[in-house]
Amino acid sequence: MRGILIARWKQLLRNPWTFLCFTGLSIGFALILGLTGAGNTIRVPIAIVDEEVHEAPIISQLKQETTLQFYEMKEQDLLQFIEDGKAEVGVLLSKDSYKLVVGVESTTVTIAENIVRQTYVNYFQQQSIIDRAHMSAEEEKSLLQELEENLNEPIFTIQASNFRTDEAVIYNPTYQFLFGFSLFFVIYTIGHSTTAMLTEKKQGIWDRIILSPVSKWKMYVGNLIYSFFEGYLQVVIIFSFFFVVFDIDYNGMLWKALLLLIPYVFAMVALTILLISVIKNIQQFNVLITIVAVSMAMIGGAYWPIEIVESKILLTLAKFNPVAYAMEALKGVVNYGYSWDQLYYPISILLLMGVVMISIGIHLMERRHI
Amino acid sequence: MLELVNISKRFKQKYAVKSMNMLIERGEIVGLLGPNGAGKSTAISIMSSLVEPTEGDVYFKGQSILKKPESLRKVAGIVPQEIALYTDLTAEENLQFFGRIYHLKGAKLKERMDDVLETIGLTDRRKEVVKKFSGGMKRRLNIGVALLHEPELLIMDEPTVGIDAQSRNYILETVRRLNEEKNVTILYTSHYMEEVEYLCDRIYIMDQGNLIAAGTKEEIKRILSGEKTIVIKADRITESFINEFKTHPLINGMNVEEKQVSIMVAKEVNMFADIIKLADKASLELNSVNVKTPTLEDVFLHLTGRALRD
Ligand SMILES: Nc1ncnc2c1ncn2[C@@H]1O[C@H](COP(=O)(O)OP(=O)(O)OP(=O)(O)O)[C@@H](O)[C@H]1O
Ligand SMILES: [Mg+2]
Repeated sequence: MRGILIARWKQLLRNPWTFLCFTGLSIGFALILGLTGAGNTIRVPIAIVDEEVHEAPIISQLKQETTLQFYEMKEQDLLQFIEDGKAEVGVLLSKDSYKLVVGVESTTVTIAENIVRQTYVNYFQQQSIIDRAHMSAEEEKSLLQELEENLNEPIFTIQASNFRTDEAVIYNPTYQFLFGFSLFFVIYTIGHSTTAMLTEKKQGIWDRIILSPVSKWKMYVGNLIYSFFEGYLQVVIIFSFFFVVFDIDYNGMLWKALLLLIPYVFAMVALTILLISVIKNIQQFNVLITIVAVSMAMIGGAYWPIEIVESKILLTLAKFNPVAYAMEALKGVVNYGYSWDQLYYPISILLLMGVVMISIGIHLMERRHI
Repeated sequence: MLELVNISKRFKQKYAVKSMNMLIERGEIVGLLGPNGAGKSTAISIMSSLVEPTEGDVYFKGQSILKKPESLRKVAGIVPQEIALYTDLTAEENLQFFGRIYHLKGAKLKERMDDVLETIGLTDRRKEVVKKFSGGMKRRLNIGVALLHEPELLIMDEPTVGIDAQSRNYILETVRRLNEEKNVTILYTSHYMEEVEYLCDRIYIMDQGNLIAAGTKEEIKRILSGEKTIVIKADRITESFINEFKTHPLINGMNVEEKQVSIMVAKEVNMFADIIKLADKASLELNSVNVKTPTLEDVFLHLTGRALRD
């Protein structure tokens, strides 16, 4: 078995291009979409028309917003921006009110308005509560009324959907794309690695081993361990790269995240074995793995957060999708600080899927003599 | 040593091998000859315990290998028709890998590797990646891998297809040396008649799944003892010329090549006058007409009505 691992490893060193290519693609896409923020968060300019607004924490709160990215500019520039169509909407801020400057009617406008309104409402509420401490009974009464009115304001809330809880969604594009593309591209690396087994069988290398004193299952185990190792190496390289080069700190959860990738990579090795067991040749495999990987990535929330998916069918499909569980676990750990208790479920599902797929896959391969 | 009894192998409706009997004695070189698709590789897979026959049994040293293939596998070396090597690894690394699966290690492994590399003549290319080898070198390494565990019985499936004459001769010499010096029993498969004729003591000839002849070279040639072969060479061969022969009542077999036609007739028949007349009729310029005693190639032609190589 050690011989198999050594042989496969040497082959990778002689011919690392596929491996490097998919590693590079993962890093590249995560960089372009995740770190630079291009292509995901829409930028909305804000301008201060009344310096008193600084007395309130409105601006700092807006800047922390992740759904849209608010950034400051001069009022004059903002108006010019909208006129030139460089932004869909801008917001002019004063202490007690705000004004939307709308260039194009779009959902961005609605979202921006809701965010800004809620920021103001929150501020007013806090203000009211703080003021209440120094008020007379009469004033208090009217204030309560005011508070109630404030609360009754229709507040736009984003539906938070998560596998089990209904907490608010944290959307962090860096992690979204870093995790998403790592999980996506590693499927190809693993597929490339496991199909080597198919080629070896076709070439007759396995026949030689069948005729030797080494048993066939050792050959399977050796090859599967190797493919697991190759896939895992890739995700470790990607995650470490971002950790070292871009100071992405995974909220201190790098180790936990890397551990979570173990059941995922295992499940993907199993999946590719299952795919190999139903195809006739490598060409078919390449088509099939592309279809499977892309649809799993889409449904599993590797390209965009699964939280924005509303279709019941898609959400049901996600329940059978290893990518969904892995994304859920990774984001859970890094964004929400899940404990092992909360991770137990996705981990066991991934392991279970892996065991089932690998068993069926090898069984079919043996039955069909491939 | 190895015996096939009434072996058949069916794929779906088609028989690749039909009721085949074969015996290989210790120390022999036995040839298995047949054109493409004859069923040679299928027969080899069965006798090396890789494929189960639909019917029949295979005995190694008197024991059936269908249920207990271990005794055969331990001492048999199989050279597959396809190159079964890791092409991204060097010659040495391949030998190391396949040596390890035969539980060779350390000094013993090294000794065996050196010996094999010497035998196949790749000692000074040992550190090169197989991908960069010529066809002949790959073939040699493909054989070398099967020699690592010093097999008593070597089963070779067309070890010389698609390589240059020099490599081919080298392989033939190697096979002969293995047999003479190390007393390795060899089954040699080929569709080159002259290889089998050169190497083998006894020969089996297969066509379309059937054994159509078996015996020593002399026995097989004796099948045609009543016949002779006439080789006619001309500048070109025309359709009409061939057709004349095809319908000729005295001709028992014919093989057409680019500028040459071989016909088979009974020994006592004199064909010269006819040949010249027919050539005239087809306005062909004859270069030569030769009579020779039949070769194995002619036997095959006689038995199947077709040439061994098309
Ligand atoms: N796995 C298989 N499934 C179906 N048919 C097969 C299979 N293996 C071989 N055959 C058929 O059996 C016949 C004999 O094939 P085989 O490979 O044994 O011939 P061969 O004598 O080795 O030919 P070649 O000189 O081309 O190697 C062929 O017609 C082939 O198509
Ligand atoms: Mg063959």
